[in-house]
Amino acid sequence: MWSTDREVAAGDVVIIWQTRDIIQPLLITPGKDLNSRFGHYRHADLIGVPYGSKVGSSNGKGFIHVLRPTPELWTMALPHRTQILYLADIAFITSWLNIRRGSRVIEAGTGSGSFSHSVVRTIGSAGHLWSYEFHEVRAEKAREEFNRHGMADIVTLTHRNVCKDGFTVTDTVDSVFLDLPAPWDAVEHAKKALRKDCTTRICCFSPCMEQVLRTVTALNDAGFTDITMYETLLKPHDVHQIPVPISLSDIVDKLKKSEFKREEKRLRQIANSSKRKRDSSVDKDDGSKKAKTDDDTSNTAEIGPAAVPVTIQSITETTPVPSQPAKVNLSKPMQEVRGHTSYLTFARLLPISFSPQMPDLDENMVKSDTASSS
Amino acid sequence: MDGDANVQSFDLINNNTVQSGDTVLIKLPNGETRSVKVDRDSTISLGRIGSFYADELLDKPHGLTYEITGKTLKVLPPRTLQEVEDTDATNELINDGELVQPLTLSEIEALKRSGTHASDIIRTQIEKHTNYSLKNEYSKEKYKQRKEAKYSKTFTVVEPTLFNVCEYWYNKDQNRIRDLRADTLSQLLNMANVRPGGRYIAVDDASGLVVSGILERLGGEGRLITICDVDCPPAYPAMVQMNFKKEQVSSVLTSLNWATAQEDYVPIGASLESTSGVIRSERQRIRLDKRRVVSDALTSAREELFAGEFDGLIIASIYDPFPVVEMLSPYLGGSASIVVQSPYAQPLTDLQAKMRTSPHFLGPSITESWLRRYQVLPGRTHPTMNTTGSGGFLLHAIKV
Ligand SMILES: C[S@@+](CC[C@H](N)C(=O)[O-])C[C@H]1O[C@@H](n2cnc3c(N)ncnc32)[C@H](O)[C@@H]1O
Repeated sequence: MWSTDREVAAGDVVIIWQTRDIIQPLLITPGKDLNSRFGHYRHADLIGVPYGSKVGSSNGKGFIHVLRPTPELWTMALPHRTQILYLADIAFITSWLNIRRGSRVIEAGTGSGSFSHSVVRTIGSAGHLWSYEFHEVRAEKAREEFNRHGMADIVTLTHRNVCKDGFTVTDTVDSVFLDLPAPWDAVEHAKKALRKDCTTRICCFSPCMEQVLRTVTALNDAGFTDITMYETLLKPHDVHQIPVPISLSDIVDKLKKSEFKREEKRLRQIANSSKRKRDSSVDKDDGSKKAKTDDDTSNTAEIGPAAVPVTIQSITETTPVPSQPAKVNLSKPMQEVRGHTSYLTFARLLPISFSPQMPDLDENMVKSDTASSS
Repeated sequence: MDGDANVQSFDLINNNTVQSGDTVLIKLPNGETRSVKVDRDSTISLGRIGSFYADELLDKPHGLTYEITGKTLKVLPPRTLQEVEDTDATNELINDGELVQPLTLSEIEALKRSGTHASDIIRTQIEKHTNYSLKNEYSKEKYKQRKEAKYSKTFTVVEPTLFNVCEYWYNKDQNRIRDLRADTLSQLLNMANVRPGGRYIAVDDASGLVVSGILERLGGEGRLITICDVDCPPAYPAMVQMNFKKEQVSSVLTSLNWATAQEDYVPIGASLESTSGVIRSERQRIRLDKRRVVSDALTSAREELFAGEFDGLIIASIYDPFPVVEMLSPYLGGSASIVVQSPYAQPLTDLQAKMRTSPHFLGPSITESWLRRYQVLPGRTHPTMNTTGSGGFLLHAIKV
């Protein structure tokens, strides 16, 4: 697949990581430049740099990380030509279909090749992937990509409508993955392509429950068993550093103190007002400003604007705090989850030579046939 | 296709049929799965279901369902889904607890002893069941299934796929595998970019499930060094059900422990040279040779680890993850993946906070996996009741 050398070379496809949300592929072409929000880079300058390096821009505007592609990074960076599969679904399908080194797999349609790259990595050069896409331009784009990524020996890409014309191999593959709008039309073809000497598997990926039900009927009619369905998701968590909350006993103390101060103030106010009443009866005509004594000044300061600072002060007083308050790391699920969910319908096909035909099996098929056509 | 030769040699190490010496997973009608060793010329007993000759399973593909008749096995045809035809019957007239047991226990026992087939026992019960016709079709279906689970002498040989083995352990003893659910395990392997020929470092305190996953993905090609907390190579019990062929493991897997994986570790104990310089007996020579093999293996594993440039680091450990990451990540190549699994969010939360302040780790992020399974039957599609709570947490980062 991609380069396994330590350093980046001309002609390599690398992944440029700018931020977690800005990840893009780059074909290293001497003479070309990369311009981005995070500065200006000459491809030539990236040659010879070890994979995983942080590289500063030539105009000092920022930096990027130059990464070795993996199918997981590719899924995040690839040019979208269609809806694509993401990590959670890809991993789960791979596991249920038992895709591993040496597996022979069919997928349709190729779409943007997100699933294809992951499968090719997992099966390795001992395995093989047959990929089908009926949209000509998409098929061509995918073919170019597979060639550029050194996957051509492991993938056979065919431009065809699999619902109409079926697959190009028979009794060959270990598993079939269908990500197209009408998988039920490809189920019989899939059965032909699957090998019959051991248990094989199929997965159909559909966003709508109505599609699932039609698929289930088709699978059942074709003799697939253990039909089951899953939904899988990855919930990203965000880590926040927040100050350690002060202890409850501190708050209790604080509340008590402020209550005590309020009471003090109240009493003082009462004392003041009765004093003022007395005073005003003495120099009634002077107006309050002139009448202020030293005593009065200090009182207004406490009753008026100072009332708020008192509470604030009491907080800082009671918290035995260093200049930097202690922090704690807490995580919670992020609001947004990337990727679209679909239903994953799975089934098995048992080896025929070992499953004796039973008369009432055919009866069943007829029965569900009528059911599905009605 | 130039891969043909490879595929064949691959088939030699991954058998599609049951072989003598394999440990197979057997699923009983009540849903319980048992791990059973299959040895030629032995008898396998499945308790109430009965017993049979192990040879009956040999060289048969996995995934088949059998019925025990005497000590032999009959392959059952695959079951297709049954449409439930709607009738007018509802459960309106059925009162809870009023289901009359149509056959007495002794009557059932007598039928069983006389060798009556399970399906006939069930039919007799249905015939005698006074309220049966009042039940709606869904309830009838359920009733039949319950009875089948109780009386049938059938079982299925579950294929030893990583998914199935993981599910078996998850249901059997979730704690021992650190709550590592099949979906999370598959994500972990993908996030770590495990591929044939790759070189990985792993810490597996999940009974060897992680090691099993990596070994299967390597398919006998590549390298896996595990670091463990015991002084001899760890057992990794989950590997038993995977039935790896010897070559698939021995050519790939080596283990060090936390002490021998330290760069400044010096082995204590007698040197390999005989103290007197003369080898006195054949026995002593054999003993010395054995120790030399062990010691050479240790030296080369250490050298290999310290030479670094590994493709990935995978941790499912009971130890504080940050020191583990700090100790092992220097042996990774640039751009390698680091994946840490935990059943708890908190250790990974702290780990993420520490890793993001280090210039060596790019984009440390935490995910929790979520999974829901559905029963899909015509007219009866719904989420299954026993959907599990959490599949655990993963942290992924890139070494830079
Ligand atoms: C959603 S995309 C597949 C995305 C792909 N799984 C990925 O991860 O990138 C579906 C693709 O199937 C193709 N397609 C639909 N019906 C098809 C058919 N009958 N035969 C072949 N390809 C088909 C469409 O052109 C489209 O590119």
